[in-house]
Amino acid sequence: MAALIRGLRAGKALRGLASVAVQAKLSSQCNRVRRGIHRAAVLRLADDFKSNSVSPPSYHEVHTAGESSSSSTQGDFSNTAAGKEYGQPNTSYQDQSGEHDEDYETEEQLQARILTASLEFVPLHGWSVEAIAAGAETLSLSAASTGMFNNGAGDLVLHFIAECNSQLAATLAEQQNQIQLGQAEPKKTAEFLRDAVDLRLRMLIPYIDTWPQAMSILLLPHNIPDSLKHLSTMVDDIWYYAGDRSTDMNWYTRRAALTGIYNTTELVMVQDSSPDFEETWAFLDNRIKDVVNMANTAKQVQATGEAVVQGLMGAAITLKNLTGMNQRR
Amino acid sequence: MAASVKTLALRTLCASTRNIQHVSRGRVKHSCCPAWVTVRRGYSDGTEGKNTHFGFETVPEEEKAERVYKVFESVAEKYDVMNDAMSLGIHRLWKDTLLHVMNPQPGLRLLDTAGGTGDISFRFLEYTRSMHERQQRQKARSSQTPSWRDIADNYASNQTDLPQSRAVVCDINKEMLKVGKQRAEKAGISTGLSWVVGDAEELPFDDDQFDIYTIAFGIRNVTHIEQALQEAVRVLKPGGRFLCLEFSKVSNPVLARLYDAYSFQMIPVLGEVIAGDWKSYQYLVESIRKFPDQETFKEMIEDAGLFCVKYFNLTGGVVSIHSGFKL
Repeated sequence: MAALIRGLRAGKALRGLASVAVQAKLSSQCNRVRRGIHRAAVLRLADDFKSNSVSPPSYHEVHTAGESSSSSTQGDFSNTAAGKEYGQPNTSYQDQSGEHDEDYETEEQLQARILTASLEFVPLHGWSVEAIAAGAETLSLSAASTGMFNNGAGDLVLHFIAECNSQLAATLAEQQNQIQLGQAEPKKTAEFLRDAVDLRLRMLIPYIDTWPQAMSILLLPHNIPDSLKHLSTMVDDIWYYAGDRSTDMNWYTRRAALTGIYNTTELVMVQDSSPDFEETWAFLDNRIKDVVNMANTAKQVQATGEAVVQGLMGAAITLKNLTGMNQRR
Repeated sequence: MAASVKTLALRTLCASTRNIQHVSRGRVKHSCCPAWVTVRRGYSDGTEGKNTHFGFETVPEEEKAERVYKVFESVAEKYDVMNDAMSLGIHRLWKDTLLHVMNPQPGLRLLDTAGGTGDISFRFLEYTRSMHERQQRQKARSSQTPSWRDIADNYASNQTDLPQSRAVVCDINKEMLKVGKQRAEKAGISTGLSWVVGDAEELPFDDDQFDIYTIAFGIRNVTHIEQALQEAVRVLKPGGRFLCLEFSKVSNPVLARLYDAYSFQMIPVLGEVIAGDWKSYQYLVESIRKFPDQETFKEMIEDAGLFCVKYFNLTGGVVSIHSGFKL
């Protein structure tokens, strides 16, 4: 019994040693953040009303319970709901300063805003913390707010990629909508893929000079999981809208093929100096044709193989007939 | 007998809550003050005086500021030497880590509260200067063959180009500032540095003045920590950053025992031997124990109105850096 207790204590000490390293990461993030925002909202309202009213805190309790149960990071829905409730006394929608908006947007949204504003400084400063500092200053925030981004330039690049991918998904969804409404013709798979990759790569054109730097940032070990995740969701989206509903090995082979096409075309684009990137689009066409040929060839090989096997079976049966082995006596 | 004691206790509690509301000047957030704070403040004899901790002693609040002043007045001369001796030089690494976490861009304004001998400010100026030089070099590298027009423009803009980073060292104690000024003169740092006497609970600056507010190993000496945090929020610009470097709770029990033994056995002895002052260093280690732990302090910072509050433990929790943003 005493030995058991000693063992438990030793285990706790060891866990403590391990948790020391993890401490820094465990703090911050979603729920505490949103509690802070709500508390700020409560404080500002209390100041506005100049009373210690009981109702906001109780609403705040209900709301934090509701928020902690939701696991998604898209907390803006509940926040705008809170905003609507509190919207009546605070009519400062015209006031675009960061301080008032903070009642109605989460920190993630503010960070997204800063990163979007920083994108216009990328041609000047490259993908770096200086660009983020310049972006924050356009939003009239101090350059010290770049400290919010632990990953620095990596955060900026990942944000840009996420924006491009969501834009691509929205455009593809819109196109599919058009087809369903009958206002557009459905495209063949090869053409669809080509257009989707073309559309996505054109989003890089404004930043093409600094894109090699961005690619190297994405290849840093701590960024690789995130960049792979973005790449795979993008490829998955494209195939989904192309109509792929396969559930067998095809699912993997198709996505692998498209990933290869996309990555190689991106590399060609980065060093392409022809007008309007004609060489890149020609390269893309060739690669898509290759993949289509490969698919056709695979089908033909399979059909031929089956035919050959059947032919051999037929020949063997004929031989058996001829030699008389097939008769039942 | 029991009934009268109970009524006396109730009366003191009521008096203390009244006092707290009076002190807080109508700020709402004291309603979410944890109960143990009210209880601790309640044990007076029902008059207006409240008590706080001075190390392991309990003293009236007005006295604490005075006694802290006396402590630092007496240690000012030997402050840096004692820092090196007590932490075996590791305090330099802690302060360097604070600067790396801060990662300041050139051209920002720093308020180094309880800055004393100016360690953080010197490092800040050094960091921004080298970062500025690096940026200049990169700019020069990217424009290898400038046209004559670029060169002409460069001549014109060279004078006003430097975004000057400025650091203000603010301390309540004139002796510490004097020592700091002497160090600055010896190191030859003069541009961009100012020395101001001020109380962290009532800073002599306007609103929205500073990009970064740091307080390194100072906030545990402040009588009303919440007020110091409120002042920090007040003087910070929107988007500004609050950074606090402070001793904190060690989570690992093995390390905690070693650390406690070292603190209570070695440090006052070192204080007596090197600085001739046992009591000040006894206060130092006791005040570390009295300071709230990482999570509690993080909540206090959030209560003051800062966002994205994070903390980083250094040396296993002996020291931790808390960071928050005014958004």
